[in-house]
Amino acid sequence: MYGVYDYDFKFENQEITVGVEKRGGFLRYFRSLKNGSDNVEKILASDTGKIIVNPVEPLNLPKEITNYLEIEFEPIVIEPNSYRKVYLKFPIEIGVFAATKKSIDILDIFSLNNQKYSLYGPPDSGVICRWYKSDVFAGIPKTEILKEGVIELNIQNTSHEWVEMRRIVFESYGMKIYYNDIVSMVAVVKIINRMVAETNFINKPIKDGMKKALELYTARRIPVVERKGFLMEWGLK
Amino acid sequence: MADVLNTVIYNTITVWDVLVVIVVVILAIIIAKIVTLNLKKILSDKVKKDVLEIIIKIVNYGIILIAFLAVLPQLNIDLSGLLVAGGIAGLVIGFASQSVVANLVSGLFLMIERPIRIGDQISIEGVSGFVEDIHIFSTIIRTYDGIYIRIPNEKVFTSNITNYVANVARRFEYLIGIRYADDADKAIEIIKKVIDAHPFALKNPSPTIFVDELGDSSVNIRVRIWAPSTVWYDVKMELLWKIKVELERNGIEIPFPQRVIWFGDKGGVKVESGKDIPA
Repeated sequence: MYGVYDYDFKFENQEITVGVEKRGGFLRYFRSLKNGSDNVEKILASDTGKIIVNPVEPLNLPKEITNYLEIEFEPIVIEPNSYRKVYLKFPIEIGVFAATKKSIDILDIFSLNNQKYSLYGPPDSGVICRWYKSDVFAGIPKTEILKEGVIELNIQNTSHEWVEMRRIVFESYGMKIYYNDIVSMVAVVKIINRMVAETNFINKPIKDGMKKALELYTARRIPVVERKGFLMEWGLK
Repeated sequence: MADVLNTVIYNTITVWDVLVVIVVVILAIIIAKIVTLNLKKILSDKVKKDVLEIIIKIVNYGIILIAFLAVLPQLNIDLSGLLVAGGIAGLVIGFASQSVVANLVSGLFLMIERPIRIGDQISIEGVSGFVEDIHIFSTIIRTYDGIYIRIPNEKVFTSNITNYVANVARRFEYLIGIRYADDADKAIEIIKKVIDAHPFALKNPSPTIFVDELGDSSVNIRVRIWAPSTVWYDVKMELLWKIKVELERNGIEIPFPQRVIWFGDKGGVKVESGKDIPA
């Protein structure tokens, strides 16, 4: 489903129908989810554009209220001054973009997942996060490409103590999503002590030959100040 | 032309001097406008809207004030003299404009302490709504029914302010009554499922659901839910009805107020018509 299409694009499976068709003298973009939650139809006043479909940062539905993604997983106890690589799954939202040579804009965002949000930290100074529960994998797990992606998580315990970790929080601005037969991100978490860690994304695919997904804030032309990742200062458990 | 410009208006002040002052002030206003416009463009994505508004106001008035003070000697106004005269005049004006000054000072303190920001949902002295703007002298509130209300800053500063969105999350609660004949554990399980299915009913802090009291007509279940402050009211509105529908779908009903009436051992009631009702 992911890729660049002309205006004759149509995709249908058991859960979703999405595409562009000419009806009533207009080009119309349409999308319907089989669970009937919401349908979208828009007139496309364009002749020469393309449709781009790719996974986007999973922080837009049902309404954009946060820039943070929290993934909870079974506890990992990490020995002092060590490095481990594990794989987690993350939820996917699908972005449909209308593009011309000079301009690109978001047409629709939908998801085949249910959303859940959570609070990381105290109510007065914490952050609201999109919440997701994942298993922990030693290798790249199989995923449903329209629902889940894989995060390669490089854990560096730089402290001199054993650290138990059961959640990770990322900020969306650094998310670099790649796709082909799977959807992926690569992230690093640097554990500073039992309570504090810093998370970052690395701009590279999980394996060779993957395409980079369009970032939403690029499409929305939102200028972003470069940040040095997210500091998890309210605990790792 | 030169004669007109050299015409003395007052003391040694000529038309030329006055023109210079006017041109400088107008230029300062134009420069302030250009600078603030550019500041808006540059900082709008990097600084929060309310902070940006304050920066822009300070820069705008600062440029105009500096230009005005710089050009005052052109009118032969000695600022040191003004200080003495200003001291006396200040006393007079101070007494006359006590509330204006109080509002100004309160406005400055509000900008420093920042208990409220533009866009926040607040309640002050019974006025609830969105903060539209914080001026030097007053704060503008747009109530939930869209009405414009101006509150002097002195009142804002000295009142109890409830800011509903200062924290990122907040809790709300329901009290749901079920029949004594219903299974409270099952009801709690159903309510929990409905809450879990709502995206914005937060996972952490987790909701709490428990039998709170054995009421006159119902077993009362207390439901406490945390939600993001920006959407909590939407969540509150949506969830209550969903819980009611789901409980009823599972055969658990929310009872009407009821009272058991016992007629005594002999039974029967004497009614006015004289016709007895049997026990």
